[in-house]
Amino acid sequence: MSPPPTPQGARRRGARSQRTGLDSRARAWLRHHRAMLGDSARRLLRQPVASLLTMLAIGIALILPTGLWLALSGASGVGQRLQESATLTVYLAPAVSERQAMTIADTLRQHPEVAGARLITAAEGMAEFQQALGLDDALAELDDNPLPASVVITPTDTAPAAVRDLGEQLDAVDGVDEVRVDLAWLERLRRLAELGRRLTLALGVLFGLGALLVVGNTIRLSVESRRREIEVVTLIGATHAFVRRPFLYSGAWYGLGGGVVAWLLLAVGGQWLAGPIRALAASYGAQFSLPHLGVGGSAVLLVSSTLLGWLGGWVAVHRHLAETRPR
Amino acid sequence: MIAFEHVGKRYGGRFEALADIDFRVERGEMLFLTGHSGAGKSSLLRLIMRLERPSRGRLLIAGYDIDRLHISQVPYYRRQIGVVFQDHQLLFDRDVFANVALPLEIQGFEPREAARRVRAALDKVGLLHRERALPVELSSGEQQRVGIARAVVNKPPLLLADEPTGNLDPQLSADIMRLFEEFNRIGTTVMIASHDLALIARLRHRVLRLREGRLVSDEQVSDGGAP
Repeated sequence: MSPPPTPQGARRRGARSQRTGLDSRARAWLRHHRAMLGDSARRLLRQPVASLLTMLAIGIALILPTGLWLALSGASGVGQRLQESATLTVYLAPAVSERQAMTIADTLRQHPEVAGARLITAAEGMAEFQQALGLDDALAELDDNPLPASVVITPTDTAPAAVRDLGEQLDAVDGVDEVRVDLAWLERLRRLAELGRRLTLALGVLFGLGALLVVGNTIRLSVESRRREIEVVTLIGATHAFVRRPFLYSGAWYGLGGGVVAWLLLAVGGQWLAGPIRALAASYGAQFSLPHLGVGGSAVLLVSSTLLGWLGGWVAVHRHLAETRPR
Repeated sequence: MIAFEHVGKRYGGRFEALADIDFRVERGEMLFLTGHSGAGKSSLLRLIMRLERPSRGRLLIAGYDIDRLHISQVPYYRRQIGVVFQDHQLLFDRDVFANVALPLEIQGFEPREAARRVRAALDKVGLLHRERALPVELSSGEQQRVGIARAVVNKPPLLLADEPTGNLDPQLSADIMRLFEEFNRIGTTVMIASHDLALIARLRHRVLRLREGRLVSDEQVSDGGAP
């Protein structure tokens, strides 16, 4: 910024008074920041109930998207494990001998998109079948083994489209009768997860906006109550940044407080829900528990809520300052 | 120091608050601006403080066309002007010391240096012993003196006063005017809007008279009823 016009009288007399070296200006800036950090905190503490209510409102607005996000990341963990276990079963033609089956399995193993291939010979297949169904006696009646040999393939890329592609490729291999890929439910799960992600994002934006409005409105009231002070300091040469500063800090404190409230509610709520969730998952023979926010997640929550509060303060003061521009 | 060049100010496109104002004020002058209420005194001061912008003409302060100032430069410009308001514009939630220190706080003065200046300014207006008082505990004459101390604490080259003696009795008014004369003696350009004609006549300074937004006279009072 170019230097403001300085009437020369000030320049002449003010060699001392206009000490605006970069260093001393930076120190003054820091000093004011520190002062406003403390001052805004004291103002909040002077009205503890009102401040707490605002923080609660922000916290509650933040808890829904955060909770959803947690649940989703838990669910997508489960989905990930399920997807990773995706396999293809390649049934070989009945006429293929055991030796040929081994060769085919070797060929399949060499395919670049195949991570692993396990051959199940007709006899092994029969044994597994008997074990699984407990039909020893009935099957023993059969003269011939009706089961074909099969190869269980673990793909390198477990994305459904890639798995389906691989299936089609393997189907074309000599001696392969049929390839089974049961992807429909995986696909469904993936779509559900995508829906959940978008829902969380939409809710996050909406509720974040809600929190912003709560802070903005609270700060607007406090701007209103300090209107005279703003007017006076503007008259005597305060910059917009100077005027804004205390309100930005107030907003940031509200946001941080709201973040802490959300964090506490999540911790308590998580504890409260953990038992039933574990029991429900166990009844499906699965293991699932709500993941914790962890240090990183907590930091993200607190930082973003603080930023949200800061932004709310900024919007509120900015509107006020724009109204008082000289015409 | 101040040069109005055919300045006009209209509000809402119709009401003409000031028309064709044209005068110059030299550095180190002291002058009065007078006229009935509504004659445009406050509008004129507001133009100098750049709370408003002229609709016509040019307004130069220390040679700069202040209408060209970018919005972000306006605060730095205002720091060069000390303003005494009729209603003091003190902040009632802080004591006298903090009120006077406000301009220095805004300009980022180091606290010890600021305290020294605040005490010097309070000493000048005779209120050093009341630095911890809240504005409400002061008489209106004392409040006005706090306002003056705040206006001069950063030693601005230009001092504006809008009806500084509006609510004061003649004795207090005379005291306040003496204060302004003292600041003028050390080189500050002082411009005072006032309708206290008797008081103005006693102080022999230049007087600009406004009527219905026009400058109707500009004369040096040489033989007032000085004691």
